[in-house]
Amino acid sequence: MSTVFSEEQRDCLQELINVAMGLASDKLARFLNTFVHLQVPAIELVSSAQIPAQFEARYSNTEAALVSQGFLGNDGLRGEAIVLYQLDNAHRIAALLGYDTDSASELEMLTDISSILTTTFLNGLADQIDNALSYSAPRVLSSRQTNVSQALQETAFHWELALKVDISYQLIDHSFNCDMLLLIPGEAVSNIQHILDRILEEY
Amino acid sequence: MALPVLICDDSLLARKQVRKSLPESFDADILTAGNGVEALAILRSQEIGLVFLDLTMPELDGIGVLEAIKQEGLDCFVIVISADIQPEMQKRVTELGALAFVHKPVNPEKLVVILKQYGLI
Repeated sequence: MSTVFSEEQRDCLQELINVAMGLASDKLARFLNTFVHLQVPAIELVSSAQIPAQFEARYSNTEAALVSQGFLGNDGLRGEAIVLYQLDNAHRIAALLGYDTDSASELEMLTDISSILTTTFLNGLADQIDNALSYSAPRVLSSRQTNVSQALQETAFHWELALKVDISYQLIDHSFNCDMLLLIPGEAVSNIQHILDRILEEY
Repeated sequence: MALPVLICDDSLLARKQVRKSLPESFDADILTAGNGVEALAILRSQEIGLVFLDLTMPELDGIGVLEAIKQEGLDCFVIVISADIQPEMQKRVTELGALAFVHKPVNPEKLVVILKQYGLI
């Protein structure tokens, strides 16, 4: 990402994302009724074609789920947010939250969590750049039966770029890791740079 | 006399946001630190009246700084400015002696209320 953004732009984007993630963590903590240890999310902008390979290794030996949600805002801001989960820790969280532990209830829980994470995070981001977003309903792209890399490939194919946001939540008694991917169109980079420069000029 | 103030945040943007949120009537000499270790080095070597402290930082986080301030009896007011806005976190920093807990991005009006409340302006 260093080649795309200047150091100041990168710092600005990271801070916007940290603030948005703080809001999402607070919402998640209330939903899970526990304290969420917030880590600074690592962000990286990559070509969407690289995405399936990057996640293949991480999710190949584990059951995984993908939940997708489209977003649309002013000034051509649009994209698709994908949250990836490893299912082995989802079982415990489902039990903790009182969802039934069958696979349908687990997917319902992951859809709920995705929606909380995605919409709170993106609303927090949009607020800071004076934008407003609307969302499509979250949908499960793949569950344990399907190959993660294939499902990612089919979705990422529609977009040129992906802003990877590695989220690692540590609940008090449980670890809960997920990855968030924001798939965005190619022209978004110059838009993002423009927005970051506008914010940097204010300070 | 100007109050020596330390703004501690790993983000340059966040440090600028805090600096810009301070009212003009606030007579301050401003120093900055990019993490908790840098902040403590400054706090141990010179008089600082007020610290604006971020929580999530590399090297040493804001909680670590608050613990050291308490343990070493360093004499300064601390206002925490945090992206982590969970009530549990607010409780924790208050217990560690922070005057106030402000959510990011910092709201200048709210900051003025706090500064007035503690007679800093």
